[in-house]
Amino acid sequence: MALQASLDRLLESPGVTGVALVDAVTGLTYGAAGDLAEAGDGPEESRLAALIAERLGAAGAEGELESVITTSTTRLQVLFAVRRTAGDPLLLTAGLDRDRANMALALRSLGDRADEVLA
Amino acid sequence: MKAPTARNLPALLQALRDEGFSGTVRVSGQPGGTIHLRDGLVGAIETPGAPTLTSTLLASGRIGDEDWMAACAEQPDADRLGGHLVAAGLIGAAELEVAAAAAVFDGAFAMALSPPGERELGEREPALLAEPGVEPRWLTEETSRRMALLSRLWGPPSELTRVRPVPVPLSGEARTGGWLTPGQRDVLDSVNGRRTPRDIAFARGRGLYAVLLDLVRLEDLGLVCWERPAAPGIRPSTAPRVPTTDASAAAPPPRSAALPRRRPGGGLPGRDPGRNGRGGW
Repeated sequence: MALQASLDRLLESPGVTGVALVDAVTGLTYGAAGDLAEAGDGPEESRLAALIAERLGAAGAEGELESVITTSTTRLQVLFAVRRTAGDPLLLTAGLDRDRANMALALRSLGDRADEVLA
Repeated sequence: MKAPTARNLPALLQALRDEGFSGTVRVSGQPGGTIHLRDGLVGAIETPGAPTLTSTLLASGRIGDEDWMAACAEQPDADRLGGHLVAAGLIGAAELEVAAAAAVFDGAFAMALSPPGERELGEREPALLAEPGVEPRWLTEETSRRMALLSRLWGPPSELTRVRPVPVPLSGEARTGGWLTPGQRDVLDSVNGRRTPRDIAFARGRGLYAVLLDLVRLEDLGLVCWERPAAPGIRPSTAPRVPTTDASAAAPPPRSAALPRRRPGGGLPGRDPGRNGRGGW
């Protein structure tokens, strides 16, 4: 199906080991590709995004949350807000292998493609 | 045709999945609803308790009324309408899949808010479908998760759906205290003491469950409040409450007398799925 095909394509980016599309409000996972554990758990990711967005807002940030990037020495865990014209916001979550990904390039490429997931 | 003797709705849906059944399961009750199955997968759920896919697409403004009417005229078979909407460029294929799945899960959640009544199998009926359909097992697990989460965050979900929240008048300082998502802001703008969460969901074209989550958050932030049906001794409130709830607890309004009361230690055994956090659907 269309969503699965979109997510499968994201796995072709260097270093990406798992991706999922998650509802930012309900935490429901609409689709996933690759290693599901590395893509992230839907309810957990949505809670994390909400918490960080609230903290940013409380700290005076304006505008919507765009992404959350977590790094360890070997892994990257990222989460991008997917814009929609209507309907509750979505999150594209991905796990990356740091050895196989140029961090800056991978983030740029995933971020650019986040909005294409719904096409 | 009566449904086979499955012990509950999840078991029935699983049996129908194993059979690859295509058709409808009508469930009586409040709200009850109709579950549309294709090859055993849940394609759509129509229930008065939650907006359908069509309602969410139209009420949210994602697809305009005129475009919708034109698409329905060109493709009168509802089963094929989804493909037509995509082909006509009115919505992306993946986005339609997301919206359709969201509506199925929300419908299941709404139906789980009250004990299911009699079940009846019927012939296949045309419906705007989620493609691919949803595995019944996943639907059951997610519904249970939602009931459990709301129970933990607030209390019995079935009670929460009956509240009629009002905005809390605040000083400027308190008003800026919380950061809200667009959805939460929308819910805050919609509450007026008359609308239930279901009314708000239908008006905005959002899922009932999402509206409930936003309401709980707004109540935690002290931005909305409502008169809570009195239920002494069952579940001590742990969430911060706004001061007005004291008055309502001391003198419950007449309206609350009509609602099902839970009794200390007894309650409504097995009849209120919100109490034990399991999806009773």
